[in-house]
Amino acid sequence: MKMENKKLKKKKTEEKNNSVMAGTKPKVAIVSLTSCEGCQFALLDLGEKFLELVEKIEMVDFRLMEDEEDPGEELDIGIVEGTPITEENVKTLKELRKRSKFLIVLGNCAAMGGIPEIKNYQEGTNTIKHVYKNIQGIYNPEIKEVDNFVKVDFTFPGCPITGEEFLKYFPILLEGEIPERPDQPVCVECKARGNRCLLLDKKPCFGPMIQGGCDAVCPTAGMMCQGCRGLRPGGNVKAMRATLKNMISDEEFENIAEIYGLRDDIEERENN
Amino acid sequence: MQIKINHINKMEGHAGFMASVLNGDVKSAKLEIKEGVRLIEGVLIGRQYKDMPVIAQRICGICPVVHNLTAIKSIEKAMDIQVSKEAVLFRNILEWGQIIHSHALHLFFLSLADLLDIDNDLKVIKKYPEETKKAVRMREYGMELVKVIGGRVVHPLTNEVGGFKKVPNKNDIGKLIERSKEALGMAEELGGFFSGFKIPEFERKTEYVCLDNGKDYSIYDGDIKSNKGLHIPVEKFESNFSELQRPREIVKRVKSDGKTSYMVGAIARINNNRSRLNPRAEEYLESLGYKFPDFNPFHNIMYQLVEIIHAIEESSKILRMLEGGQVENALTKKYEIKEGIGVAAVEAPRGTLYYHIDIDSRGYIKNANIITPTAQTLSNLEDDIAVYLPEVLDLPEKERTQKLRSFIRAYDPCISCSVH
Repeated sequence: MKMENKKLKKKKTEEKNNSVMAGTKPKVAIVSLTSCEGCQFALLDLGEKFLELVEKIEMVDFRLMEDEEDPGEELDIGIVEGTPITEENVKTLKELRKRSKFLIVLGNCAAMGGIPEIKNYQEGTNTIKHVYKNIQGIYNPEIKEVDNFVKVDFTFPGCPITGEEFLKYFPILLEGEIPERPDQPVCVECKARGNRCLLLDKKPCFGPMIQGGCDAVCPTAGMMCQGCRGLRPGGNVKAMRATLKNMISDEEFENIAEIYGLRDDIEERENN
Repeated sequence: MQIKINHINKMEGHAGFMASVLNGDVKSAKLEIKEGVRLIEGVLIGRQYKDMPVIAQRICGICPVVHNLTAIKSIEKAMDIQVSKEAVLFRNILEWGQIIHSHALHLFFLSLADLLDIDNDLKVIKKYPEETKKAVRMREYGMELVKVIGGRVVHPLTNEVGGFKKVPNKNDIGKLIERSKEALGMAEELGGFFSGFKIPEFERKTEYVCLDNGKDYSIYDGDIKSNKGLHIPVEKFESNFSELQRPREIVKRVKSDGKTSYMVGAIARINNNRSRLNPRAEEYLESLGYKFPDFNPFHNIMYQLVEIIHAIEESSKILRMLEGGQVENALTKKYEIKEGIGVAAVEAPRGTLYYHIDIDSRGYIKNANIITPTAQTLSNLEDDIAVYLPEVLDLPEKERTQKLRSFIRAYDPCISCSVH
C-alpha cells in the first residue's frame, strides 16, 4: 500500500459534493474484485444501520442486492473491495475510477494485497503448481494493490473492515470531504478495552506499529495483532523489531507480516 | 441458439452463464466462473500449521466459521490432538450461528426477490418492512452467536487448534439463551410468510450426500452417507469423490465415483437426516407437505428455513448445557506438534466441506487440499439446468434470464469458495 494516509487532508469546501449541494442523493456504487467479499458482508452485517445509510444515497450498483444492470453513470463515491487479479478485475477498477469523484477502498485485499499476496513471497510458479495440474491458460499475475492501478482517495483498512469505522467516516465522505484519521496504534483501543498487553507477557503483537480503528478486536480475543490494517504513519518498525527480538525470530516476523501483505510495506518503510 | 447471461448478481462471487441449444436440444449449459485465482492451498505450503485456520477462513466472507473449523479439525487429526467436550459444544454453536446467518441472508436477501419476481432487494424491503425487520433480527441472532463465541462475525478469532483462546462467561451465555426465544419466534413467523409463496416445480433425480453421525442432525462429525447407499468414513472421501480439472478451468469439479454429479447442502441434509430434526423444525417441515425423496432444487430455499428453525432450537439446547457446565474446559490445552496427515469434514451452510492436510514434524504444512461445497454441486447445477432450460426456452429473453438466475440462486452457490 502506498501511504495514502499521508494524503488524508481535508478537501477544500469548493470541491464539495455536487449532489449534496444540489439537494439530490449522492450516487454510490459498491464493486468487488477477487475476494472473499467479507468486507461487503461486514457492511450488510450492520443490519438496520446499513439500511438507514442506504436510504441516504442512491445505490447505483450493489451486486449483492440487485439484478438491475449498472447504467454506468457518474458516481459521487465508488467503493471497491478485493484484489485486482484478472484482466477483467483491472478493467472494472479503472472504469470505476473514471466515473467516481471519490474512489474508496474497502479492506485489506484492495489496500494491501491480502492473503493472495502471500504468493509474491513464494518461489515462481510453485504456488500455482500446488493447486492446478494443468496451469496452462490460468491467469496468474503478481499481486498488486489497487493503488498501483488507480488513485485512491480514502481507505477503510482491515480484514475485514470495521463496520463501525465505516459508519463513522462514510457520512463525511458523502459530504464531499476526506476524513482525517488519527495516527493512533491499535494499543490505544486495546488499553481502553481493559486488555492486558500481550507484549508484557512476552507474547508477540504488532499493535504498536499498526493503524488503530479496529477496536483492538484481535488482542481482545487473545490473538496477536498481525497487522491487517497496515502500518500507521508514525509506526516505528525498528522499535517494533527490537521489542519482538526476544520473542520471535526474524523469519517468524517476516512470515507473520506476509499474511496480510504487510511485508512489502515494512520493507519500503525500512528502506526510506 | 446461444443463451448468455454476463453476470449473475446476488450470489457470492462472480459468474455468468452460457448455454447452447440446437433444435430444442440443450447441447451445453455451463456456469462461467469469473474469479481470479487466489491459490489458497498453494500459499499455505511451507507455512506453520497455526496460520492455516487464519488464512483458509479467508476463502469466504460468509462462511469463514466452517473453513476455520474444518482447518482446525484436520490439523487436530494430523497431530492426534483431543479437544474437550466443551470446546466441541462451542464449535457446534459457532457452526449453527454460521448456518443461521448465511441461510437468512440467502433466503431473504438473495432469493426472496426471485419468488416475488422483483429485481431489487431495496424494493422488497419497501414492500415488506415488517418481514425485513424480522429477517434482520433473526439473522442478527446467528451473527451474535458467532460474535460472542468467536470474537467477530466475519473471520472469527478465538477458535484454534486444541480449543479456544477465550470463552464467553455464563452471563453472556444467559443473554444468548434469552435472545434465542425471540429468534425462534421470528423464524417461525417468517416460515409462515415463506409458506405463502408459490415455489416453482422442477425435478431431476440425483444423489444427496452429507455427514451422518448416527445420532443427531449432523453438522460437526459423522460418516459420509448418501441416499444411494454410499457409506464411507470421511478419511476415505477421496476414494469416491475425485477432483477433475478441465483445461483452462479454475474450478476443480468433484464427481461421485469419478463420473456422476451429486448434490450437497440443506436439501441433501433434509433428504437424508430429516428424522433427527428438533420438534419445531420438524413441525414446520411437515407443514410444507413435501414428499420424499425430494428432487426439487427450488425447495433448497425452504429447507434453509427449516434448518434455521432447527439451528435456533439446537443452539439454545447447547447453550443451556454450557450454562450448567464448565466453560473453562474449552480453553486450549497444551499439545505436542507431530508429523501427520489429517482429513476432516464439516457441514457448511452450502454442504460438506473437506480439508486434507499433511504436516511435517516441525508443524510446517507440506500439502493441503480443500474441497468446497460449490465445487461439488457445480456439475449437478449444470445437469439440472440442462433439463430445466427447455421449459423456459420459449419465454421472452428477459423473463428467461430471470428464471435461469432464480434457478442458479436457489442453489446458493458460493463462487469465491468454489475457486479459492
